[in-house]
Amino acid sequence: MGFLTILKKLRQKEKEMRILMLGLDNAGKTTILKRFNGEPIDTISPTLGFNIKTLEHRGYKLNIWDVGGQKSLRSYWKNYFESTDGVVWVVDSADARRLADCAKELHTLLREERLAGATLLVLANKSDLPGALTLQEIREALDLDSIKTHHWRIMRCSAVTGENLLEGMDWMLDDIANRIFTLD
Amino acid sequence: MVFFNLWSVFQWYLRPFIKWFLRKTTRLCELQRICYGDKIGAQRSCNIEKSLMLSRTRDVQEVVAFLDAVVKERRFIPTLFSEILDPTVNIIIRVKKINKKLHDSFSPLFRQCLIQIWSYRQLVDEVEELRCTHFDSNDPIHEKKLLRLWGLLMPDRPLEARITKDWQDIGFQGDDPKTDFRGMGLLGLENLLYFATEYRQASNHVLSHSLHPKYGYTFAIVGINLTSMAYYLLKDGSAKTYMFNLKQHLPSINLFHKFYCYLFYEFDKMWIESKPENMMEFSIIFKKFENAVRTELADPASVFRINIEVDTI
Repeated sequence: MGFLTILKKLRQKEKEMRILMLGLDNAGKTTILKRFNGEPIDTISPTLGFNIKTLEHRGYKLNIWDVGGQKSLRSYWKNYFESTDGVVWVVDSADARRLADCAKELHTLLREERLAGATLLVLANKSDLPGALTLQEIREALDLDSIKTHHWRIMRCSAVTGENLLEGMDWMLDDIANRIFTLD
Repeated sequence: MVFFNLWSVFQWYLRPFIKWFLRKTTRLCELQRICYGDKIGAQRSCNIEKSLMLSRTRDVQEVVAFLDAVVKERRFIPTLFSEILDPTVNIIIRVKKINKKLHDSFSPLFRQCLIQIWSYRQLVDEVEELRCTHFDSNDPIHEKKLLRLWGLLMPDRPLEARITKDWQDIGFQGDDPKTDFRGMGLLGLENLLYFATEYRQASNHVLSHSLHPKYGYTFAIVGINLTSMAYYLLKDGSAKTYMFNLKQHLPSINLFHKFYCYLFYEFDKMWIESKPENMMEFSIIFKKFENAVRTELADPASVFRINIEVDTI
């Protein structure tokens, strides 16, 4: 029995997952995290540094890292890559102006070796706002279909109404669980 | 949980008994004992508030409800104090059977506490209203305020355009500050404006620290995070220590702004002294700072002085 197998079994016992939330500033990462954790979402300030929440969901212990998205912080994202099981990439569906920037950052991220194998969930947030782009438009703008290295899925959601947050997270948990908790 | 239950049993059954006992032995009601025995400021006013809130006497509860209603209408202002408070104090004196002649010092002391307590409550309402007002680009007043902030912080450099990367130089996230105000609304902008207007030297000093090549940080965003801290300290009552211990001033929006300026100046000091590796240490240093402020506020004797000295190095 190798070291990796022991590690795998240990994690299986605790059923712990590490999830990283990234995206441009003002995408709604902190709001989604707070909403998911059942906290009030009306007094959120721009994130400097990071927030971390540990929560239980469907018997899993989730460590969710929400890292600030402003440009000057993006170079520090790499400090949080280690042993990440899933990445939630949050997009502001109403911000068409910065979609190209968003696509660029996402593809840079996916080339990162330490994230190899991590499940990718793209959340098209703020889909309830007037002027929000459709899911198809975002999928194309982010060139998601070219991603072959990661399991991925895109979903529209709204942190304010709560739409699709659970569904998205559940898909991600299932995908991660299938990968790391299934015994060979 | 058990402790909590015991405590509420104590509050409900034992408190009246202890109060009755002390009343008989000292011949003073609880409000008098607090006014005469507790140190003026946060200690006295907070205990008076506690006593009034726990009271089961109908008249006292009505007085509290009346004053709360006055605050809701924003009518708790100095020019109306005698109209509002004279009858209120008289009701309490009557209900508590206080001999006015023997205890003529009670009413001014008690009245001062009422003024502090309900000025604070009105301030909480005012601050909440400002926070709930979203920054609106279509509102010329909001826009003017934002541009004024630039002018105050960058007096020698006119803004190139309304939407420009220049905003990042005073520490906003992108090229349009409006989304940065999100949860704190207009309150965040008003706080920054006050700091830049009333403490010109200090705000310039802090801004120059924020531009430091090694220990720099995003001035405006840190400011908005400090607004959030000040807002929570006000809302959960921690800021009472600060506001009630100031002899010259009543709780007011300006005092809230001053409190914010104090936090900003002190946070900047702590940040620079911590010599942070990079911006990612913000979460930790910010938490450490908040804990230090909370510890200081937890002591009712704390007096905060905004002692802003600008070093010239």
